[in-house]
Amino acid sequence: MNKMEFNQLEETLYHEQLPNGLTVYILPKRGFSKTYATFTTKYGSIDNHFVPLGEKQAVQVPDGIAHFLEHKMFEKEEGDIFQEFSKNGASANAFTSFTRTAYLFSATGRIQENVTTLLNFVQSPYFTEQTVEKEKGIIAQEITMYDDQPDWRLYFGMIENLYQNHPVKIDIAGTVESIQHITAEHLYTCYHTFYHPSNMALFIVGNVEPDSMMQFVKDNQAAKTFDAPAPIERIFPDEPKEAAVKERTLEMAVQKPKVFVGVKPERLDLHGPEMLKHELSAQLAYELLFGRTSNFYHEAYENGWIDESYSFDYSLESGFGYALIGTDTNHPEKFAEEVKKAIHQAVEKWPFGQEDLDRVRRKKIGFFMRALNSPEYIANQFTQYAFNGMNLFDVVPVLEQIEVADLQNAFALVSAESQQSVFTIKSPEKEQA
Amino acid sequence: MFETNKIAQGVHVHVHQTTQFKTINFSIRFKDRLTVKNASERAILANVLQHSNEMYPSHTALRMVLDDLYGTSLYIDSTKRGDDHILNLNVETVNDQYLSDEGVLEKVMNLMYIVLFKPNFENELFKESIFKREQESIVQRIESVFDDKTRYAQQRMMELGLPGHPASITSNGSIEQVKQVTNESLVAAYHHMLENNEVEIYVVGDVSPEVISAHIRDYFHFTDRKELPEKMETQLQPPEQSRVLEYEDMKQGKLHMMFFTPVTFRDEDFPVMQLMNGIFGGYAHSKLFANIREKESMAYYVSSSYASQFGLMFVLAGIDRKLEEKAVSLILGQLDEIKQGHITDTELDQTKALLTNQLKEALDSARGQIDIYDQYMELSEDFEPAYLIERWESVTKEQIAQAANNISLQMTYFLSGKEEAKDE
Repeated sequence: MNKMEFNQLEETLYHEQLPNGLTVYILPKRGFSKTYATFTTKYGSIDNHFVPLGEKQAVQVPDGIAHFLEHKMFEKEEGDIFQEFSKNGASANAFTSFTRTAYLFSATGRIQENVTTLLNFVQSPYFTEQTVEKEKGIIAQEITMYDDQPDWRLYFGMIENLYQNHPVKIDIAGTVESIQHITAEHLYTCYHTFYHPSNMALFIVGNVEPDSMMQFVKDNQAAKTFDAPAPIERIFPDEPKEAAVKERTLEMAVQKPKVFVGVKPERLDLHGPEMLKHELSAQLAYELLFGRTSNFYHEAYENGWIDESYSFDYSLESGFGYALIGTDTNHPEKFAEEVKKAIHQAVEKWPFGQEDLDRVRRKKIGFFMRALNSPEYIANQFTQYAFNGMNLFDVVPVLEQIEVADLQNAFALVSAESQQSVFTIKSPEKEQA
Repeated sequence: MFETNKIAQGVHVHVHQTTQFKTINFSIRFKDRLTVKNASERAILANVLQHSNEMYPSHTALRMVLDDLYGTSLYIDSTKRGDDHILNLNVETVNDQYLSDEGVLEKVMNLMYIVLFKPNFENELFKESIFKREQESIVQRIESVFDDKTRYAQQRMMELGLPGHPASITSNGSIEQVKQVTNESLVAAYHHMLENNEVEIYVVGDVSPEVISAHIRDYFHFTDRKELPEKMETQLQPPEQSRVLEYEDMKQGKLHMMFFTPVTFRDEDFPVMQLMNGIFGGYAHSKLFANIREKESMAYYVSSSYASQFGLMFVLAGIDRKLEEKAVSLILGQLDEIKQGHITDTELDQTKALLTNQLKEALDSARGQIDIYDQYMELSEDFEPAYLIERWESVTKEQIAQAANNISLQMTYFLSGKEEAKDE
């Protein structure tokens, strides 16, 4: 078992890769009653075109299948896995993102029993045509629920605007129509390809003793047989640098128009430490340009172009990413114009110096320290970073090394006019109240 | 858990010294009666006070100093509980020992004092442009509930079912009342809050209770409060309409049901009703989840929740708009099961285990510790989690069935797309 100590943060991370390929991380949190565990596969909605394990031909699977598979993992021949977790006093859940499917529980007791349930249920697929059919009604209601949420539509509308071909533009849950095509056989194909231990990570954080827990997980895994690890062949289409659509409006009943300005990053092939440095630098640059202390925010607030819903964010994964700046506003055109102007001006003449950097760097370090109080944040963020070759605990040291020029360089990759797009949601009525 | 010091009549400092967290959390809570007028004024007040102040007269200046203090988070929100309206200053700052800088804590406490006691006045009124802008913000915040159809449907049911009752008054008040607030009336509300409100101050982190209490006593100048106003009448009157159907431009049907239990937080049967709600629809092992979702495939979400302050229980489900009647009958069927005592040992044990787990987990965050203590302090001053856990343990199936028999459906509210709206 390997041990990484982060002295300034007073955290120690234990980790080991088991013979079957599974990577296990354990982070004890002293003083906590709860333990939070995530069992995550590097498989999300974007992995819809791949060569199935043991085959030669690539297949394209129906939209929404990773999420559908997540739902179906909970049902077994002997019943519902939620019941099992409840018996041991654990709250269980799962989520599917563009790149990951995570199964998780939190509990304040019977941790070994709950870890056993978590490992065993994710490692024993059970799909029948009948149970697959039954799930379609439930997921159709889930999709319908999201369809009625303007903020979700705004987010996905913007991603569709930015991406021409990449499957990130497909809604994670698929559509009511696309899920009708899903069969038990599809689920087994996806399962066998992506749920091999070598494509997965287990993260346990909280009130846990590392040595005995690591041994416990090892014993559980050693008792099962898996095929030898094989690399997974995923196929992604070529994606142009430019935003797919410059501007688009959706009509939907909303109290006030909603607008996003999105920017597609130029480099989508970053990985590891280079990716971490770029992402943090670009986040700091966006914080300076659009954060609460920026000239932009001040102007926008004073002029009533933004309200309390205003937000901005930059995130990057392998193959896709986006900067988003948005708000509910009665002046969507003006807002978009001003955001674009602010980006343009910063490209023309870089306005930020050392003092600005020092301030937002301190802010970000503080945010990170606060986040480390949350076992959920640590497990989920660590896993996401690890799947991209980054280490969450490098955030503070990398932040400390970042220089003004790094911000400028990172910003240059997330600012070109041709990579920008605007998406607006408005009520069908012509006149806004 | 918390060590309490009274620093003036009606003003208490509660400190939990712990090394569990890397940060220090503060919560200063001003409590007043929940009326539409109070809520409307105080929602604006919260925004005005967190915008700027005498020392940092622009929002940018205030945010810059917070960034410099290692991204100290500072915000003021207004919430409600029972018939209380609570204006709450929340601050979280990194503990000095994790930083190369020292003295952050003292600067943060000084800033909290300035935010509360040195507002951005101009001729003894709030700066007019800020007042106007924040008044408008609250109006827009209330309006934006419409965009979240679950919240909107719940709010409509409460407005129609229990008009004027504290259960239906929102923490932001009403658009009408917010628009009636003037700069003068807001200043009066501000002084009233500082001088007359009951104040509970919570601190969680690696700090000394004596040092913190003394600092707040010496620097914040809280004076003795007079007696708090009488509690409000919270007796429940049956809604005028027992079934309401409304339409909006949307795809899913939102089913909301309201029940009187009639057990409140203060009653002996409170833990029994918590268990009853958990078995009925509080968890993923519950009867509603297992039957309406898993067996019937009718819903993605279907759950019950217990509003113990008023003895209300709600059931919420997102369903196909054509299935309202079927859903209501299945939901009531599950309640009947409990009334008839059809509860398994497993259901009872699971629910006890999850209630216990939930409580212990909540105590793993500073915010959770403060919220739970602030609520249960009313029941017992030296509240410990074991107090509740023991009471859940002793509850029997018979007690739960009996409690279920006193539950009555008072209203169903259904929000959905119009018939002619096209399905996808």
